[in-house]
Amino acid sequence: MSWETVVGLEVHVQLLTATKMFCGCSSRFGDPPNTNVCPVCLGLPGALPVPNEQAVWLAVRAAHALGCTVHPRSSFARKNYFYPDLPKGYQISQFEEPLATGGKLEIVSPERGPVTVRIKRLHLEEDAGKSFHDRVPGMTAVDFNRSGVPLIEIVSEPDLRSPAEARAYLTTLKQVLKYVEVSDCNMEEGSLRVDANLSIRAAGSPELRTRTEVKNMNSFSGVERALAAEGRRQIAATERGEEIVQATMLFDAAAGEVRPMRTKEEARDYRYFPEPDLPPLVLAEKWLASERAGLPELPAARRERFAKQYGLAAADAAMLSASRALADYYEAVVRGGVAAKDAANWVMNDLLALSPGGERLPLPPGRLVETVRLVDGGRLSRQAARRVLAGLAGAPEAPALEVAERLGLLQVSDGGAIAGWVRETLAAHPAEVARYRAGEAKLMGFFTGQVMKKSHGKADPKAVNAALAEALKT
Amino acid sequence: MTDFVRAARQAAQRIAAAEAKGTHAFLAWSEAALLEQAERLAAAGAAGPLAGEVVAVKDVIADALFPTTCASKILEGWRSPFEATAVRRLREAGAMVAGKTNCDEFAMGSSTEWSAFGPSRNPADPARVPGGSSGGSAAAVASGAVTMALGSETGGSVRQPAAFCGVAGIKPTYGRVSRYGLVAFGSSLDQIGVLGKDVASAARLLGVISGRDDRDATSLDRIPLGDPAPASRSLEGTVIGVPAEYFPAGLHPGVRAASDRALARLKDLGAELRDVSLPHTKYAVPAYYIVAPAEASSNLARYDGVRYGLRADGGGGLADVRAVYRATRGRGFGPEVRRRILLGTYVLSAGYYDAYYRKAQRVREAIRADFTRVFAQGVHALFTPTTPTPAFRFGERTADPLAMYLSDVYVCTANLAWVPALSLPIGRDQGLPIGGQLIGAMEAESTIIRIALALERAVDATAEVR
Amino acid sequence: MSVTRRDIAKIAALAELEVDDAAAAELERQLTRILDYVAQLSEVGDDAAAAVDERAARLRRDVVAPDPLSRSPREIAPAFQDGLFTVPRLGELDRGDAP
Repeated sequence: MSWETVVGLEVHVQLLTATKMFCGCSSRFGDPPNTNVCPVCLGLPGALPVPNEQAVWLAVRAAHALGCTVHPRSSFARKNYFYPDLPKGYQISQFEEPLATGGKLEIVSPERGPVTVRIKRLHLEEDAGKSFHDRVPGMTAVDFNRSGVPLIEIVSEPDLRSPAEARAYLTTLKQVLKYVEVSDCNMEEGSLRVDANLSIRAAGSPELRTRTEVKNMNSFSGVERALAAEGRRQIAATERGEEIVQATMLFDAAAGEVRPMRTKEEARDYRYFPEPDLPPLVLAEKWLASERAGLPELPAARRERFAKQYGLAAADAAMLSASRALADYYEAVVRGGVAAKDAANWVMNDLLALSPGGERLPLPPGRLVETVRLVDGGRLSRQAARRVLAGLAGAPEAPALEVAERLGLLQVSDGGAIAGWVRETLAAHPAEVARYRAGEAKLMGFFTGQVMKKSHGKADPKAVNAALAEALKT
Repeated sequence: MTDFVRAARQAAQRIAAAEAKGTHAFLAWSEAALLEQAERLAAAGAAGPLAGEVVAVKDVIADALFPTTCASKILEGWRSPFEATAVRRLREAGAMVAGKTNCDEFAMGSSTEWSAFGPSRNPADPARVPGGSSGGSAAAVASGAVTMALGSETGGSVRQPAAFCGVAGIKPTYGRVSRYGLVAFGSSLDQIGVLGKDVASAARLLGVISGRDDRDATSLDRIPLGDPAPASRSLEGTVIGVPAEYFPAGLHPGVRAASDRALARLKDLGAELRDVSLPHTKYAVPAYYIVAPAEASSNLARYDGVRYGLRADGGGGLADVRAVYRATRGRGFGPEVRRRILLGTYVLSAGYYDAYYRKAQRVREAIRADFTRVFAQGVHALFTPTTPTPAFRFGERTADPLAMYLSDVYVCTANLAWVPALSLPIGRDQGLPIGGQLIGAMEAESTIIRIALALERAVDATAEVR
Repeated sequence: MSVTRRDIAKIAALAELEVDDAAAAELERQLTRILDYVAQLSEVGDDAAAAVDERAARLRRDVVAPDPLSRSPREIAPAFQDGLFTVPRLGELDRGDAP
């Protein structure tokens, strides 16, 4: 029996706002616990929510970047349940009238190649506080700094067919959302969280069978491993003749396995109803249209353009367009006068070596351009250039030339000096000179090495070769 | 220059005298707090539109000086770390907060009998209820302790006690007064309302607390209330609608006599009386008792013992947080609150939402449309009795929740439709006050206030009506 | 519409309310009576299209400006330790779809 896994993902993403979704508290991560709180996000008696306009704008931008239809009119709803870090006993979310529906994300499946994953909906909601179950013995301890932080929830259709595809979806989604500067999408800091739904079916069958929910995955690789484990579990159970029971499965990263949460007899009843404290969210059609038009170039389009416009190989185009910052950087270097392919090499090999992870670009593109010019002009060797770049990374205010000088890396191309070193070298090794003139062309390398040593590595190798060739002629 | 300290001392004397009679209008008040406020106002040379006034505040409204208990054990001793916008505005206008008044627990009730700290008594007859849920505020005004008070309405809880106690009470258009700091009961219905010894006092207080608040997304932009004391007292050119549904055949004879007399006075003042019909009136109480409990069940979920208020720890500690929730809420909430939370949870639950909550909101639209249609036909205001009977005795309606709910039949329509409404005393029946109600179109407080001022002068509210 | 003891138990659980047997019996009666009363709403037809809420939410500028608390979390909390609100623990509470 050949099985197919069917996966849908629900991704919660924190929006890059200064304040929370419904109150003026700072939404900054990492502050001492319970210091960014107020009557609203603590759920005190008499407090009321007021929506954050920046959160709305970012949510709209995300929706547009995912090709969704943004609804000019959407409304908020209460999702009612009890949990220690949910201060009001309900979460303000969107239910019947979400902000956006009907989008898509193009991914590359390791198994199937290019795949379009449909996005069912994208809506706004507020985050809950953070619960710690192991900080204080026997107690659950809660920090409400996170309570009320703006989130968008992005729900995909069950279009994914493998754990690897799920991971590809997440990496692509993260890239798009970072491109449009809507979120940091950092799973370690909790600004991106994933819940998955998984079911199995006979390969080729169109039916959708009972699915389970998989939670507690804390990294993209965790998602892949968790879904692999759950897929295996469901297949094994089904092959044993068991029914798959609807349940919530928690991923245990250490064991690499999933285990069920206690199943409840009744399915959870959130008793959604329209949020009476908030009138509908109304967005002008003209404004929506101009927002959509004003989207920056998205990763896929940029990648394709890089390949075409700059003649780059697919892999190189992908690497250079991985982040918007890097892509902008690359094009600035090209605009600065460096040939496209050279610029690609410099950025991918030399620049990225200085910033592992490629998150923070260590020096402005102008400085890289200056350095490249020095190399092209013969004033700097390729190796020396690396050191200049490292120096610039520490202090990018100084021009590349100054750094090169300070580090004593400028090559000497001065014909007189080079001629002098060549003369001394040849004079010191008459036997080798005779052998070279007798036909041992290989010895050129030896002479070059000697001249370079005399110059403490500073001689321009090209000029050295030329001078040696000239001097050894007779 | 206002003599704040003198005003404070006199107020303290009046409150003490009124409370000494057993009215129990207040849950918290002190002369010391009054004097402290007076001294601060005097030092600042305050001179706002309410300078020197002393205002009682219903205990579901957060203030900075006293606890805000909502007359519930679950918030006993709770001192709010923030102040309601309405309270801030009245203080900025130079008024002092007299103290916090008694009410039905979380504003759920029509008599104050559901207060966890004992009921208040109707100053007109201490064996009878003052009405509710703002019964404490109504009794405080009626007893002479204060001349103005803040109350709250979800289903008539300012107008009904105002009628029972013989004082004026106004429920503004939904959104007119900020709800920031009003402990939520039924969010799509709640409004802070005002009570006063007369219409002008109530209107003055309303004028000060009204207006848009950035902390309440449902609050309306500031629209002037109009001159509360217009020069002309004539009602020539004013059309008063008389809805048949509010005058059923079996209406209490005292209420009917008072209403007939008031209508005659309105006619004498030059108003045109017109028979109208609001056909969905009978569905108002059922619709209300779905929507309000539903929203309440959600609004009261925050009382879980985690962050503030009562936390019940069974002797020997509790095994888990669920047990904390259940014990806290089970013991902290009284029977009527528990009843409404359960009712509200039921009507929102899976399988019932469409038949109950969604249906009730649709019926609400029909009720609203009844009003809109009538006002569009040239009617300026509707006149009706405020309550079907005068104040009832303690214990008369607590055994049957439905009997209690039906006392709201004439008042809850305005809450459902969001329109402004007021009650003013229009006579007495065997010594018990009777209230007459004026209902206006959306945002037309100034119209109903104008008519009420004229009627107030033309009617002897202390006279027996039959 | 008859409310049963099982209904009471179910909604009490949803509402996290402790309801003892005596109270449950009375609530069965009272809630049944109330629900029977409100059932008359079914008489009202659904013919008119649902009215659209014409209001539009006013949004708030994204500027840090919290409503200050005159008393800190530590002062208002029933139990507070190491800067955190504490409650007795329950293994892993099933929180459903919550983030």
